[in-house]
Amino acid sequence: MNISGGSGHSGSQDFDLNLAPIIDCFTVLIAFMLVSASFVSIGLLDAGISAAGKASDSAPAATVQASLELQADKTIVVKVLGTKDRAQKAGFSVKPNGTEWNIEALAAKLREIKAQWPGIDSATLSAQNSVDYQSVVRVMDTTRQTLPSVLLGGF
Amino acid sequence: MRPSFLKKKRAMSDEMSLQITSMADIFTILLVFMLKSYSTGAASLAPSQGLSLPEAHAESSAVEALKIEVSRDLVQVEGTPVLSLKDYQFPKQDMNAQGASLALTAVLSKERKRQLEIAKQNTEVSLDARVVIVADKSVPYSTIKTVLASAATQGYTDFRLAVVKGE
Repeated sequence: MNISGGSGHSGSQDFDLNLAPIIDCFTVLIAFMLVSASFVSIGLLDAGISAAGKASDSAPAATVQASLELQADKTIVVKVLGTKDRAQKAGFSVKPNGTEWNIEALAAKLREIKAQWPGIDSATLSAQNSVDYQSVVRVMDTTRQTLPSVLLGGF
Repeated sequence: MRPSFLKKKRAMSDEMSLQITSMADIFTILLVFMLKSYSTGAASLAPSQGLSLPEAHAESSAVEALKIEVSRDLVQVEGTPVLSLKDYQFPKQDMNAQGASLALTAVLSKERKRQLEIAKQNTEVSLDARVVIVADKSVPYSTIKTVLASAATQGYTDFRLAVVKGE
């Protein structure tokens, strides 16, 4: 038995998909997506400030702290400051690798410090005025791998 | 019998028909890719044109906070220009004794008062100490210190540095 819907209908359920409106929709959607797309992933680095010897509220106070200073000649001076025992003070100087910061040596030095003083988990990072922001962020990023809490100092 | 290699060539048609089916396939793939990378987060941290952010490994994603943008020639707070810089440096006449910028401090003070007013009217809203620093990678540390000092004097002590997520 053939079921047909009205006069003139053949009863076949075949139909042709009209691609032109679909292409129109896709063109508009793709144009919108391209305009609003961001192909660069932006993240945030937590940073507190250490001003006048006081740490910010977001950073926990630590008895033994590390202090890093970036100098204009790309030398990184690392100091360990212990309030309980003055003999715990230690200082290292990471020389530049040619004309670049010696990040690998700094990372190795920080691991040594962490192994020697396991209680250290924060560091204060300062830099001379001419040091660029990228270098500060790079050193901060490296330091955070060993000492999670990094405060910006030099105020 | 005529050899097969002597077959008559088919006449070339001058008309070229658009292969819409292939175009639909390409558009579908493009659309799926764009949808996958599309994000609708509440916070938008699009830096200004010409501003290159430093690279770092950052875990946290964008948050809704006051945005201070520092480029070569301009300091902006929430997209509003505050002060012109000369080659990334604050003008000397704009600096106070604490190393903060007078103009930036004034704008941040106004913003803080606005937040206080909102917090007074709506007890569910608390004062937000967060601030996002969006600075070009070539900005000297002296300028960064000035921005941080200016923000700290107005109660903004929770700093987040915007970076491009490295590999």
